Amino acid sequence: MARTVIIGLGNPILTDDGVGIHVVRAVAAQCQRDDVTFAEASVGGLRLLDVIAGYERVIMVDAIQTRDGKAGNLYRLHPSDLEASLHSGSTHDLSLPGALALGRGMGMVLPDDEAIVIIAIEAEDVLIFGEVCTPAVATAIPRAVEAVLAELEAGEP
Amino acid sequence: MKKISIDPITRLEGHGKIEIFLDEEGNVANAYLIIPELRGFEKFAEGRPVEEMPRITPRICGVCPEAHHMASAKACDAVYHVEVPPTGKKLRELLYSAFYVADHTVHFYILAAPDFVLGPDAPPAERNILGLIHKVGLEIGGKVIRSRGMGMDIIGMLGGKTVHPVGALPGGVSKAINEQERAQIEAWGHELVEFGQFSLQLFHDVVLENKVYLDMILSDAYTTPMYYMGLVDENNKVNFYDGLVRVVDPAGNEFVKYAPEEYLDVVAEHVEPWTYLKFPYLKEVGWKGLVTGKDSGVYQATPLSRLNAADGIATPLAQEAYEEFYETMGGKPVHNTLAIHWARLIELLYAAERIVELATDPEITNPHVRNIPTETPDEGVGIVEAPRGTLTHHYITDQKGIVEKCNLIVGTTNNHAPISISIKKAAEALIKKGQVISEGLLNRVEMAFRAYDPCMACATHTLPGQMPLEVIIHDADGEVVEQLTQYLD
Repeated sequence: MARTVIIGLGNPILTDDGVGIHVVRAVAAQCQRDDVTFAEASVGGLRLLDVIAGYERVIMVDAIQTRDGKAGNLYRLHPSDLEASLHSGSTHDLSLPGALALGRGMGMVLPDDEAIVIIAIEAEDVLIFGEVCTPAVATAIPRAVEAVLAELEAGEP
Repeated sequence: MKKISIDPITRLEGHGKIEIFLDEEGNVANAYLIIPELRGFEKFAEGRPVEEMPRITPRICGVCPEAHHMASAKACDAVYHVEVPPTGKKLRELLYSAFYVADHTVHFYILAAPDFVLGPDAPPAERNILGLIHKVGLEIGGKVIRSRGMGMDIIGMLGGKTVHPVGALPGGVSKAINEQERAQIEAWGHELVEFGQFSLQLFHDVVLENKVYLDMILSDAYTTPMYYMGLVDENNKVNFYDGLVRVVDPAGNEFVKYAPEEYLDVVAEHVEPWTYLKFPYLKEVGWKGLVTGKDSGVYQATPLSRLNAADGIATPLAQEAYEEFYETMGGKPVHNTLAIHWARLIELLYAAERIVELATDPEITNPHVRNIPTETPDEGVGIVEAPRGTLTHHYITDQKGIVEKCNLIVGTTNNHAPISISIKKAAEALIKKGQVISEGLLNRVEMAFRAYDPCMACATHTLPGQMPLEVIIHDADGEVVEQLTQYLD
């Protein structure tokens, strides 16, 4: 089984909301490693837990909106920072840290927090349906792809 | 006028906000729920082949993709005038029942139970599923994860994928099941029935046996009589996947029963300038504002409304629970917002029983699961009960099946007015002149909203099991005089 899972989070038909998915699709097209699995998910919580269970290492790519953020900015986060990530939480489910705590409590095999990295891209529009990102966010996609590839090379667990 | 704003973290879009306005005396004058509405889907859909819609619409919402998938597939059946073979229908309903089990499990255990097991005034850091496990025992967490997991595995088996199922096509489903799969689903179904019974027993022991909670459920603060909507089968029994939509009035009498294609004759949508989200109402009664009662066209579409709108449930154990529910609550219909949680667990048991019934149906492994559409496509409406309310998909296409017009009424939109009304009622009863606004008090107002399991834009931020809230109290000049936050750190 592959040891690392790279997950694009978001909604690919909701303008910038899908940026994580666009990035991960681009990474998948360039990366030929057998030990890496690519996945897509739309919300956090238990649905996300299903995707990461069993892996040693997780790289997630998600949209983010911060208070004074500039569209296209990149961030590197761990689950403990996750309160700001768009899909890490859900009103219908647990946040990612909550889901991880629950899963570990139940004896599920889950990666450590340090082995979970989130690459987040500052979004501009996440409320209007559309298949392409806004220009500032689209420009950030190649940089985010580089960041994911660098993360993959650098952070062997 | 003073204004109290219960507002989730302001740096994020995609969240709901509760605004409470006080009058000069400090009593509640009005309350609104503001939900950021995702926009432009109709335009997005135009020009696409209609058979793509069952794969596109699940993307609208990350919480209930299965509901959109089913409503969309049914609308496509209608567009193509194609009848789904019996086994195709049963496999769709089987997937849908599994989805109900998974979805209702998550809502009850993650979002609802902590308020009752830990108490509405418990510190937010403890009032979540982890606190619940700590109090009730580790075993309960295992049951929740396993039961939800079995529901998701059935969805994956029948729908091709667990996240955004693709199994339903115009005219049926893409894949039949074999005996091995059937036997596995049946075995899981039996286990899920036990889990449904366990959940109802837990509700009994923790909530109904506790006079404080029972009084809270029955209190005027959480009581809002209105019209109730739900899908029913030919015997007026609750059905999630198919049938006619029945609406009963606040006294429980049938007001109307309509087929999907008649929805525009029954339901209209009111628009307010302060929100993108519309307010559906019963056309014949009319829009009278955010008020309840027989003269207001406001209707509710929730687990409770589905029980109220039906004459019973078609499976034996859920029917028993249904009868006990109305006996305890003092007859039909039930108007208590917090009883939605109880109704949800009765539906969970029904869905589990339905899984067993369908998995043991002699036709379920029949390979004939789809009729290929041959008619010219034009227009169709599909309706299912999403866990959060009646879900309507309506498509109009050209002769090649390209979407020209699309209209959706989604679960939570039905409940936009009822939620606002329930919040106002709770706020009126709880926030009085000179009252100190505590965290526990806020949580009690929020409980009126959480019972509906409202689905806002899916990309919503929250800490474990709770909506982050911020309360800002403005004086008559709009100055902030007090600020109270919870779950923001």
